[in-house]
Amino acid sequence: MDIELGSEDLAFREDVRGFFAENAYKAGEDYNVWRLEWFKKAAQMGGWDVPKWSKEFGGPGWTPTQHYIWEQETATATLPWDMPFGIGMVAPIIMAYGNEEQQKRFLPDIRARKVNWCQGYSEPGAGSDLAALKTKAVLSEDGTHYTVNGTKIWTTMAQIADWIFCLTRTDDSGIKQEGITFLLFPMKQKGIEVKPIITLGGAHSVNMVYFTDVSVPVENRIGEEGKGWTYAKGLLQHERTGLAGISRSIVALEKLKEQASSVKRGNGSLMDEPSFRAKVAELEIDLMASEYTELRSLASASAGSAPGPESSILKLKGTEIQQRIAKLTVEAGGIYSAAWGRGVGHKFAKAGMGGYLASRAFTIYGGASEVQKDVIAKNVLGLKRSTT
Amino acid sequence: MNFELTNEQQMLQDSVARFIQDNYDLESRAKSAASKSGFSQDHWQTMADLGWLGLGFDEADGGFGGGHVDIMLLMEQFGKGLVLEPLLASVILGGGALKRGACAELKTEILPGLIDGSRQLALAYAEEQAHFDLHDVITTARSKDDGFIINGHKSMVLHAGTADQIVVSARTSGGQIDENGISLFLIDADAEGVKRENFPTVDGLQACEVTLKDVIVGSNRLLGELDDGFAILNNVATDAILALSAEAVGAMEILYKDTVEYTQQREQFGHPLADFQVLQHRMVEMFMEYEQCKSLLYRATMEAAQGSATTQRTVHALKHLVGKSGIFIAENAVQLHGGMGMTEELRIGHYLKRMIVIDAQFGNADYHLQKFAA
Repeated sequence: MDIELGSEDLAFREDVRGFFAENAYKAGEDYNVWRLEWFKKAAQMGGWDVPKWSKEFGGPGWTPTQHYIWEQETATATLPWDMPFGIGMVAPIIMAYGNEEQQKRFLPDIRARKVNWCQGYSEPGAGSDLAALKTKAVLSEDGTHYTVNGTKIWTTMAQIADWIFCLTRTDDSGIKQEGITFLLFPMKQKGIEVKPIITLGGAHSVNMVYFTDVSVPVENRIGEEGKGWTYAKGLLQHERTGLAGISRSIVALEKLKEQASSVKRGNGSLMDEPSFRAKVAELEIDLMASEYTELRSLASASAGSAPGPESSILKLKGTEIQQRIAKLTVEAGGIYSAAWGRGVGHKFAKAGMGGYLASRAFTIYGGASEVQKDVIAKNVLGLKRSTT
Repeated sequence: MNFELTNEQQMLQDSVARFIQDNYDLESRAKSAASKSGFSQDHWQTMADLGWLGLGFDEADGGFGGGHVDIMLLMEQFGKGLVLEPLLASVILGGGALKRGACAELKTEILPGLIDGSRQLALAYAEEQAHFDLHDVITTARSKDDGFIINGHKSMVLHAGTADQIVVSARTSGGQIDENGISLFLIDADAEGVKRENFPTVDGLQACEVTLKDVIVGSNRLLGELDDGFAILNNVATDAILALSAEAVGAMEILYKDTVEYTQQREQFGHPLADFQVLQHRMVEMFMEYEQCKSLLYRATMEAAQGSATTQRTVHALKHLVGKSGIFIAENAVQLHGGMGMTEELRIGHYLKRMIVIDAQFGNADYHLQKFAA
């Protein structure tokens, strides 16, 4: 057992820091020009624009420790804006289950950030019980295309997406996990309507998406018909481990402490109040443990073994921690958190409430916490699926 | 950066696990606990023969030069068996003070016997009024001739009843709660003026109330510098917290796994209890808290092993989490075992008792949360 970084890892960290410093955004620069240039330079570093892609598809082929270092450093550096749906979500599926023609067709545009993707999974009747989805895809008699009809919900950034990766039902005769087919199709076409859903923070990021006789060529199907659930499940695991956000929470906690220290109370600050201080301390302790849970999970991945039981708890713990930080930020803002973006009182209070409200979704999306517990009960504790 | 064990560490872990497996069923444990010394002399000798009592000492001191990781592996397995033998009291507490404070001559006199199992030590650090503060010391040591005279009362001294020597913290200067002015002395357990009142603790271990009346000790039995004993005590406490936390993590593993097994067997309402989601989720929470404690245990142990500047803070974090989560897991294990969890014949309740005691040793969850936040 050893927590020291080796000399190669230390050198890598210096490289990462150097790259971030050299390519940081400078005031006055055209943001979009800088953004695309940043990704181009990262690509020249050997796949740093697609850290999680395998070497085979142009990724850097880092060790788990290098990934950990990267995540730590990105938590404090300002990286260009990016959407996870292309790079992080559909690309791994295309790599694993798509054919060569699909890989050539989709991956370069995803990598160049030319095409924005969205995820068509949840439906009004299929949330936590995702496999209950009903959006119908019917193959034409000549076998050249599917006709898609149905409704998707909570589709993040559908309003700007160029393409959607979508779970559809092609067969409902068997058990619900079978008969699901994974399709890719453009969003800007006849038969697709996007309606905004405004969430608690007042933001518009999720949508309803309606499909009416949308035509999808059969060559846009990933893998086999009826096997889409298997493909999507692999991705969900991928998505969940990425949602813990431990490194970002470490930075956010430091910020919370600074903010609370700026709130004056008598001769001291809010941070000197025992009850608030204790809550921050408990949060920090849980975060310290989670950081090592993540490291243990990475270490077992680097040893080539399957992720140990410890990885299953990361999404649950990580999202809960993010919520606690957001909540304490609102608490620290006091009544000024109620001013709702007006910038009254403490400066940080302006954004606190929006962050808090948005954070409530963290334990709902990507598999609600209760569903995660069902998954751990089944996969780790070896219990039967509960029906009661 | 890695969490892998060396071959030697793996072998140590396996051999301790085998020992527990072969010797530590509930019935044998109860028999040992009821014996005169409160533990098994045979087991104690086996532990010495296997080199476990020398793990924490340098080779120069006759030990085996093991590090924090070795002790962690050993204690984690001990936690699974609820081991009664006084390794913590004698080796980590008494021996810990000695290896840090004793002069070469004293080490040569004491340590070989400590490591081969023929000599047992104890550490008398606590006093009735002190709660968890190591620096709250009323017991006095007055300098006289070429030595000291000690007077006072030491409380809850682990395994002092079977100890040959006791390390005692006493005030040589300063006020009751000053960190400066505390000195450590090694006294013979049967020296004139030492009165030991032995009793079993709720977890089946042993403790003493020790009264010291005009106990004379030579200045060559002073550990460390005069008035500077607190730093030694504090470092010993850090080692003790790491060891106790490892023990607790081992116990947590048994608690959550036993509960998973029991609820799969026990049927009510026409289903195994484990079919009920409310119980499944509770067990998932127990499992998660166990994993989080294990993560923090690794962190604190590795920081201590490399002498990191953040060790003390991480150890506060660890003791807080272990206290809080250990009791959470143990109480829920009893709850999910239902009435059976309340019986002496099931091992679950014994783990609960140990967990409550571990939380109260060297500062409980609240105490260390305050220290961490300070």
